[in-house]
Amino acid sequence: MTEQKNCFHCAEPNPKNSHYQVTINGQLQKMCCPGCAAVAQTIVDSGLTSYYTHRSKTAEKMVTLVPDELKQLDYYDLQTIQADFVKQNESVSEVTLIVEGVTCAACSWLIEKQLRFIPGLLFINVNTTLHRAIIKWDNQQLKLSAILKEIQKIGYKAYPFQVNKQEAFYRQQVKSYLRRLGLAGLATMQVMMFAIALYGDFFSVMETEFIHYFRWVSLILATPVLLYSAQPFYINGWRNLRNKTLGMDIPISIALLGAYSASAYATIIGRGEVYFESVSMFTFLLLLGRLLELRARRKAFETSSNLLRLLPSMAILIKDINKPQEQTIIPAKTLQVGQLVLVKAGETVPVDGTIINGASHMEESMLTGEHLPVSKGENDAVFAGSVNSSSPLTIRVEKLAQNSLIADIIHLQDSAQLNKPRIEIVADRVARYFVAALLVIASLTYIGWSLIAPDQAFWITLSVLVATCPCALSLATPTALTCATAQLNKQGILIKQHHVLETLNKIDHMVFDKTGTLSKGNFLLLNTEVYSQYSKQECIDLAAQLERVSEHPIARAFKKQQKKTIALTNIVNLPGQGLQGDYRQQKLKLGHALFCAIDSPIESKELLIYLTLDKQLLASFELGDELRESAPAIIDYCHSRNIKTTLLTGDISLKSEDIASQLHIDKVIKGVTPEGKLRYLQQLQKKDKILMVGDGINDAPVLAGADVSVTLASGSDIAKNSADVILLGEDLSKIQVLNQTAQKTTAIIKENLAWAIGYNLIIVPLAIMGHVPPYIAAIGMSFSSLIVVSNSLRLLK
Amino acid sequence: MSIIYILIPIAMLFVTLAVVLFFWAIKSNQFDDLDREGINILFDEDEPHAKLQQHKKTDTQPHAK
Repeated sequence: MTEQKNCFHCAEPNPKNSHYQVTINGQLQKMCCPGCAAVAQTIVDSGLTSYYTHRSKTAEKMVTLVPDELKQLDYYDLQTIQADFVKQNESVSEVTLIVEGVTCAACSWLIEKQLRFIPGLLFINVNTTLHRAIIKWDNQQLKLSAILKEIQKIGYKAYPFQVNKQEAFYRQQVKSYLRRLGLAGLATMQVMMFAIALYGDFFSVMETEFIHYFRWVSLILATPVLLYSAQPFYINGWRNLRNKTLGMDIPISIALLGAYSASAYATIIGRGEVYFESVSMFTFLLLLGRLLELRARRKAFETSSNLLRLLPSMAILIKDINKPQEQTIIPAKTLQVGQLVLVKAGETVPVDGTIINGASHMEESMLTGEHLPVSKGENDAVFAGSVNSSSPLTIRVEKLAQNSLIADIIHLQDSAQLNKPRIEIVADRVARYFVAALLVIASLTYIGWSLIAPDQAFWITLSVLVATCPCALSLATPTALTCATAQLNKQGILIKQHHVLETLNKIDHMVFDKTGTLSKGNFLLLNTEVYSQYSKQECIDLAAQLERVSEHPIARAFKKQQKKTIALTNIVNLPGQGLQGDYRQQKLKLGHALFCAIDSPIESKELLIYLTLDKQLLASFELGDELRESAPAIIDYCHSRNIKTTLLTGDISLKSEDIASQLHIDKVIKGVTPEGKLRYLQQLQKKDKILMVGDGINDAPVLAGADVSVTLASGSDIAKNSADVILLGEDLSKIQVLNQTAQKTTAIIKENLAWAIGYNLIIVPLAIMGHVPPYIAAIGMSFSSLIVVSNSLRLLK
Repeated sequence: MSIIYILIPIAMLFVTLAVVLFFWAIKSNQFDDLDREGINILFDEDEPHAKLQQHKKTDTQPHAK
């Protein structure tokens, strides 16, 4: 057998001397890592090798969970945690899971097959498009964590998940539109059939008996379309009227109801024209446009809510300060004021509180935008959502989870959302003039013909109404927006609000957050200076070895660069100061100037730490938050398009000015609270249209208040909830793509509107003169709708 | 030609039936995952089944090693 270069399971390159292999379908296949090999073995042992035969994409590389992560799965079994996402019906529980790593239909099959054999599992369905699984199980026999571990075994990661309200709403909407569309489609086909027979009457004479019969049949078939399928248009139109605005749904409703009731009248009295086929087809086309629009929006919501993982927020409760060993793990939301909680290094603080024992560095960048961890000691306040980066703390709960700082920010976000400037889309503005013109023309036609030939006035006015039916006009905007949204979805840009693509063209000011948005938000070793016989790499290795014991973000920067392990003894971590240890019977120290007894510290905008060996300076390290590679490009783009730029950050350090001058950002506002950010934004909004880019919890209110807001997939959940656009991946230059697509979309919308209005300008005079028979109206209308739709489809290219 | 007085109502009955079937399909979530069902038929149920039975027998207590 030839040497396999890539792993059979995940198709990643095999390491040179990899010895992991599994016999699959009688052939020995090489694997890249023990994780993949274990998964493949499980699949073979369970007799599920058809997975490999039929999959259309390779699996994702298997990353084994560390015991801590596995233990975290057990938290999902707790009643109080489950209450949030598990539906219970006596002994049957039901949950929706996001499954990461599902790439094709074979994956779904594999998961279903593997899980069906667990005793106690009652139902499983894996949805390939949504990457979700619905599972029902008997909670007497089986635990949720056992199901999650079983999925884990075959190489997928599953997390419980709560369908958010908006998504559930869209699901309902799509279903109801699908029903309406199906009915309209089936009925329209029949009506068209009879209509063609009736058109035959224009060319050769048909017996009146049959004409009446066909008309009655058409009336019966068109009635459910008009009464059921077209309902959303009437409801929206009525809502518009009540709010005293004029929308596209008003002319639609007038045309539909007008033409239908006149045709029904004509059928009953047995003379005049009928337009059943036009109104049914019109309903069908419009519903199709609406459905596609809804589906595109639903897709964006689904993808973005898949990003929100429901991790259990747990707290380690201590009964007695003197007996820290007696710990119980409870869900954070059940904590009471005054209780004592232990927060280990590397853990997220579960609740707002005060430190009563210990000192540590807290990473608060998500809350405040500050890029350096803040040193905190006894009696200092800590906030839910910040990360304890260096050593264990005992804190006393000060506020209940629902009153925490994060909850306040969410409250602020909600009120910002309400005050968001109302955006009028072009289609609505066009609709307003259109309705006015339509009503004026129709009444003039009626008055005019009443004077000339009173018996024809009604039928000619009706044909004016049908001919001007704004089918193409009302498809113009939604089809273009849908195509653009689908195209952007493919490129990893999720559009949650439809107005975004139109509003983007009016943006004249972009506001950026700093930490986590323009910069990467983690520490990097920028510069190393050496002062002795030790080489740069040796110094880094020494420092990294000291940092082994620490969870501080600085430690991670060193660990990345470590090449060799060096034996050090007696390593001590002194929070707020530094680390020390023994190296060849000498004292090795890593920390700030004071701790290392450096007399003349070096000036730097970045964080500077020193490495000394028995008071002799070995090296100084400059650490900083690195800019994203795509940051300069997007600022340059703003300048080239005369868009003003502002850096709005909660960080008070000099770093903000540094970044601003490096990127040539026009203005810097720093050290502002979430309220301050929102106030500043609202002040800007008096004269500018704002695009806000941010990722932190502290950005959520501004994101909600901005005309258009953009966040990154790596951002906080709250930010993702309130932003209009989510960029998957880390590439800020996608904003540029977004902007260009928006321009193209607006151009296409304008073309579509121009065509639709142009068509009406041609057909209306003819209709007024009484030269438009029903079949011309139907052909003309569908023809102009098709042109509009195909023009929009150009956006998909 | 008078036969159409019977044929057309029958055709309408069929359309009604089609609508009912379509509504039922939507209600039972058959339009939720369009990628999936087309491929499902490719997986053989029979051949690995014997092995699965065996697997099931040896695995009555699935988590005991």
